[in-house]
Amino acid sequence: MAQLSSQIPSIDSSDLPQQNHQPGRHFRWPHIILYISLALFTITSVGPLLFTFISSFKTFQDILAFPPSLIPNPWIWSNYTQILANPIFLRWIGNSLIYAFGAMILNVIFSAMAGYALARMNFPGKKIIFTITLAVMMIPTAVTIIPKFLVVNDLHLINTYWALILPNMAQPLTVFIMVQFMKGLPKELEEAAQIDGASRWRIFYAIILPLVKPALTAVAIVTFQGAWNDFQWPLVALGSQNMYTLTLGLFNFKSAHYTQYNLLLAGSMFNIIPILILFFIFQRYFIEGATGAAVKG
Amino acid sequence: MATEPVSSSVASKQVFTQAKKQPRRSNRHARETLSAYLFLAPYLLILAIFTLFVSLYGIGLSLFKIDIGFTAPEFVGFHNYVILFNQLSDIGLSDFWTSMKNILEYVVVIVILQTALALLLAVILQHTRVLRGVFRTIFYIPALISSVATSLIFLWFYNPDGLVNFLLSLVHIQGQDWLNNTTFALPSIMLLNIWTTGAAFMLYFMAALQDVPRELEEAAAVDGANRFQIFWNIVVPLLRPAIFLVMALGTIGGFQMFDQAMFMTNGGPNDATLTPMLEIYNTAFSDQSFGLAAAMSVLLFIVIFIVTLVQRQLIDTNTNNS
Repeated sequence: MAQLSSQIPSIDSSDLPQQNHQPGRHFRWPHIILYISLALFTITSVGPLLFTFISSFKTFQDILAFPPSLIPNPWIWSNYTQILANPIFLRWIGNSLIYAFGAMILNVIFSAMAGYALARMNFPGKKIIFTITLAVMMIPTAVTIIPKFLVVNDLHLINTYWALILPNMAQPLTVFIMVQFMKGLPKELEEAAQIDGASRWRIFYAIILPLVKPALTAVAIVTFQGAWNDFQWPLVALGSQNMYTLTLGLFNFKSAHYTQYNLLLAGSMFNIIPILILFFIFQRYFIEGATGAAVKG
Repeated sequence: MATEPVSSSVASKQVFTQAKKQPRRSNRHARETLSAYLFLAPYLLILAIFTLFVSLYGIGLSLFKIDIGFTAPEFVGFHNYVILFNQLSDIGLSDFWTSMKNILEYVVVIVILQTALALLLAVILQHTRVLRGVFRTIFYIPALISSVATSLIFLWFYNPDGLVNFLLSLVHIQGQDWLNNTTFALPSIMLLNIWTTGAAFMLYFMAALQDVPRELEEAAAVDGANRFQIFWNIVVPLLRPAIFLVMALGTIGGFQMFDQAMFMTNGGPNDATLTPMLEIYNTAFSDQSFGLAAAMSVLLFIVIFIVTLVQRQLIDTNTNNS
C-alpha cells in the first residue's frame, strides 16, 4: 500500500512538467486559436437562447423590428401574463408534467426490475432477451409509428394520458443502462443475503436499488427529457386541444398566431427552462444517460 | 477461491450434501426462473406489444389496403409497393420519391458536418485546461432544447426581418426569405439540426478521446510531428469506432427528420422540405391510406439499413488500407 501511494505522486510529477513543457515550446498560436474558438462556440451555443430569452420581454413591434435590438425597449412582462392568463396553456403544462412524470416513474421502476433480472439472475432465455433488447434499439420509429397508433386506437386509448405513457414505460435503452450498471456490483452482496434467506425481491429493493442510485437518476432524467420534449408521438396519439402537451400546444399556438413571436417565444420558455434547470442540477446524470447508448458501440 | 485448501472430510461432506439436494436444486432453479420472469414481466409485455408486435404489424399492414372507417381492410399483396415503384418513372411528380431525394441530400450534408462539429467541439474541450466543465456545459446546451423550441427560435431568426438577415446585412450580403425559398429552405433546416445534433454527439467523442493513450501523441511529438499530423495520423484512426457510431446514429436519426420540417415549413415551399416521415404521416393521417404509408415506412427502413451497412463497410475498408 505504501509503495503504491508513493508511486502515484511520482508518476504525476513526471507527467506534469512534460505537459507544461509541450505547449511552452512553440505553441503560442494554438493557444490563441483555442481561446478564439472557445469564445466563438460559447456565443453560438448560448447566444441564440440568451437572445431569445431577452427578446421574450419585447413588445410585438419590438420583436420584429429591423434592425433587431438587443435590449427590449420597453421591457414588458405582458407576454408572460397574457400566456398564463390562458387556462388552456396551463392545462398543456400540466399534461406535459403528467406525461413526463408518469413515463419517468414507471420506466425507472420497470427498467430497474428488468435490468436486475438480466444482470444478476440466471434463467433460460436470458441471452435471447438481452440480444433482443440491443437489436430493437436499431428499429427506427418510422416503422413503428403507424402500427403503434393503430394498436393504441384498438385499445381505445387515443387521446388519453395512457396513450402517451404506456408505450414509453419500459424502454430498451434504459433497461440496457440498468444492466450495465448492475453487472458491475460484486456478487458477494447477494450471496450473503441469500444465505440469510432473503427473497429476490427483498434483495432487489433493499440491497441493489440503493447501490444504483446514480443509474436510477440517469434513467429518470433521460425518460423525463424524452417525454417532456416529445413532439411526434403526442401529435399522433392526441386529438383534442385540452389533452395537448406543451410542445403540441406550442405547435397549435404557432398555427393560430403565426407572427406573434413575442407570445410564442415567451411560451417556448416554459418548455426550455425546466430542462435547463434539471440539467444544471443533475448534469452528471444527463451525460451518463446521454452516452449510455454509446457503451454498446 | 480462498477456500480451496479444504480438508478432505469437508470436501466429501459437500459432495454428499450436493448429491442429496439434487432434486431440490432443480426446484430452486425453477423458482429462480419464475422470479426472473416476474421481474421482467412489465418490460417484456411492453416490448412484445409496442416494439416486436408493432414492427411485424407494420410490415403486415403494407400488404393491405386500409382506410379506417370506410371499408374493411383488403389484402392487396405487394400492390402498395408496386404503386410506389411505378412512381419512380417520374420522381418529380411523386411526393414520396421527392421526399426521399430531399432526405438523401439532407443526410449527406448533416452527417458530415455534425460529425465534424462534434469532433471539433470535443477536441477544443480536450485541450482546454481551465474551466473545462463549464465550457462542456455551455457547448451541450443546444442538445437539451426540444425540437419544437429550437424550431420556433429559428423560425423567428429566419424571418425576412430576423437575426440572420441582420447579421448578413452587417457584411453587406443580401438577405432572403429563407424558409419560403425552394433553394434555401432545406439548408436552413440543416443548419438548425447540425447545431443541436453536433452538440449532442460531442459527448461521444469526449469519451472516445479520453481513451486515446497520451504516450502515442507524445512519442509522435518527439519524432517531430506537428499537432495536425498527430491528430490526423494518430488520433483520428483510433477514433474510428466512435466516428462510425456517431455517423450511424446520425444517419438513422437524419433519415427520420420530422419535427422541424413539420413545425417550420410543413414540407414546403413546393415540397422542398418534404421528408419521408412527413410524407408517411400525411399519407396515414390526412389521406387515411395506412397500408400505403406502412409500405413507405418499410422502404425507408430498408434504405436506412442499407446505408448504415455501406457506411460500416467503407469505414472498415479504410481501416484495412491504412
